Amino acid sequence: MKLAADRWLGVFLIGLAAFVAVQAVRLEVPFSYDPVGPKAFPLILSLLLAALSLVLVFKPGANGHWPNRALAVKLLAVLGVLLLYALLFTRLGFVAMSLLAITALARIFAASWGKALLTGVLMAMGSYFLFTHGLGISLPGGYWLDGLV
Amino acid sequence: MFDFLIQGFGVALSPLNLGLAFLGALLGTLFGALPGIGPINGIAILMPLAYTLGLPAESALILLAGIYTGAEYGGRMSSILLNVPGDAGAVMTTLDGHPLAKKGLAGPALGLSAVSSFVGATIAILGLTLFAPLLAEVAVMFGPAEFFALMVFAFASMSVMMGKDPTKTAIGAVLGVLIGTIGVDSGTGVLRYTFGMPELYDGIDFVVMIIGLFAISEILLMLEHANRKDSDGDIPPLGRVFVSLKEVLYCKGAMLRSGLIGFIIGVLPGTGASVAGAVSYTTEKRLSDKEGTFGTGDMRGLAAPEAANNASAAGSFVPMLTLGIPGSGTTAVLLGALMLYNITPGPMMFSERPEVAGGLIASLYIGNLVLLALNLPLAGVFARVLTIPRWVLVPGIAILAFVGVYQLHSDLTAIYLMLIIGVFGYLLRKLGFSLAPVILGYVLGGLMEQNLRRALSISGGDVEILWRSGISLGLWIAAAALLILPWLLPKLISKLQSSSKPLEQVEDD
Repeated sequence: MKLAADRWLGVFLIGLAAFVAVQAVRLEVPFSYDPVGPKAFPLILSLLLAALSLVLVFKPGANGHWPNRALAVKLLAVLGVLLLYALLFTRLGFVAMSLLAITALARIFAASWGKALLTGVLMAMGSYFLFTHGLGISLPGGYWLDGLV
Repeated sequence: MFDFLIQGFGVALSPLNLGLAFLGALLGTLFGALPGIGPINGIAILMPLAYTLGLPAESALILLAGIYTGAEYGGRMSSILLNVPGDAGAVMTTLDGHPLAKKGLAGPALGLSAVSSFVGATIAILGLTLFAPLLAEVAVMFGPAEFFALMVFAFASMSVMMGKDPTKTAIGAVLGVLIGTIGVDSGTGVLRYTFGMPELYDGIDFVVMIIGLFAISEILLMLEHANRKDSDGDIPPLGRVFVSLKEVLYCKGAMLRSGLIGFIIGVLPGTGASVAGAVSYTTEKRLSDKEGTFGTGDMRGLAAPEAANNASAAGSFVPMLTLGIPGSGTTAVLLGALMLYNITPGPMMFSERPEVAGGLIASLYIGNLVLLALNLPLAGVFARVLTIPRWVLVPGIAILAFVGVYQLHSDLTAIYLMLIIGVFGYLLRKLGFSLAPVILGYVLGGLMEQNLRRALSISGGDVEILWRSGISLGLWIAAAALLILPWLLPKLISKLQSSSKPLEQVEDD
């Protein structure tokens, strides 16, 4: 079963190589003095990729352990938190959004609610002051905090 | 001939740069000691923040080099104390390091690892000082065709030496090069693989690439151990804190030999700390393990890989500084960092930007001393870092990654790209790929194409130019030999088994 993953990967990569090659051929190149142009290099790479993928299809190697369902759920949860963090980063501001994201991540990594909240509060505030005042990075929407302090 | 070094010490000894070398060493050791964060992750996470300081190129490089060598140091702590190697280079350190800790000698083991790292790194930095300018003088004669052949050789050597599966290493490198082709083609202005997205016109930003590939995929990978304790127990008591002079002298042979081995292996492109550690350990075992104590907590078995992997870390600066070809994944990251400052490392750097080349080498000397001074007395403090729970560590990495990418252009597209690349990196690691070839391909790919096209422009499209000169022909043959030998050698060995004397040497190489 484990070996099969590499076979599928090989087939997928051959598809990718074909895609890369087709895209390269379709490039419209204006006249230039460059005898090679932008097409050749990606074409060579796609050939190389296809050849190596064929090796993978016929001689698959070992894989890592794939996540079970519980782990897969957590994996999606982490990705979801990170995506939400990015989506709401500018709207909610750095401090508020970081607090939520840190607390959520800490919970997923098996911290109790109390510990997770404490980490969230301390890390969000601490990193805000470190980044803005220490490193001079401007972060979105944290201005209300300056008014409070 | 050593003018550059004198000038370099002038640069490195300025109060700012001295402070940065110190800061880099401290941060590097801390990040290297964090569970699950190897040197390459440490640099990836800290690099974007180093940019926000607005430092001149040589200062930034001094900071990053400090982080690099510091992280190599810090990574050994979890190997010795917890039997968990922080990265591939530290695997050999666990063999004798952890048994020593179990015997109640954790403190002396950490001290010895600091001293042997210092000795190994010093040998390699001396080698770097001697050989880098010489190599640069030879490399000045390289034209585009020679550089192209050199990169082919580097990729060939990497495929054979790096990682377990040569096919996957090569595929990883090709994928990295392909990612590097995204964006405007510098020769003709044609857009490649941008799919109409203006954000991709400049290509995928280097910082986005390394943070996504390393930091984000590491977070996802850490989930598997979220509930599991890292170690088979608590951190063993350190015992006495200092290693005695007698113990150090007992290991001096192992350190010196391994430092030399590590340097030579580090200079070869694509062969990093893991190979250096393995070769030096087995060599030392064969030479000095008379009583069969290796593997049960022999101090020489700890000193050898520690000297070797730090020597190889410094040795990998030789090809990076003189040829612009990084010797390891981590130096590939450093090379990318230099290119962000519009400095392309290569033979001209020693003549055109001696303050950068010399300053970096001088700061390696200084950083090495700083590290020894920090690590001997503070081992106990750094060991505490190992007990930081993952529910603090992971959000911390996430915040550093987000802010590091966000501050580039104050733009969220970069963050989405980072997440996509993170998932890509996670899948690759799950499929048995190592990420170092991907980043090497990404960094070198652009240079490779430029040199290929420049060479063919010179010859008017005649491909023969690629192997016309002696140097490039030699590199092509060496590359071919590297790829063919692993297939041929086993057959040859079985054929010549009876008269096998000379072949033993071949194996040792």
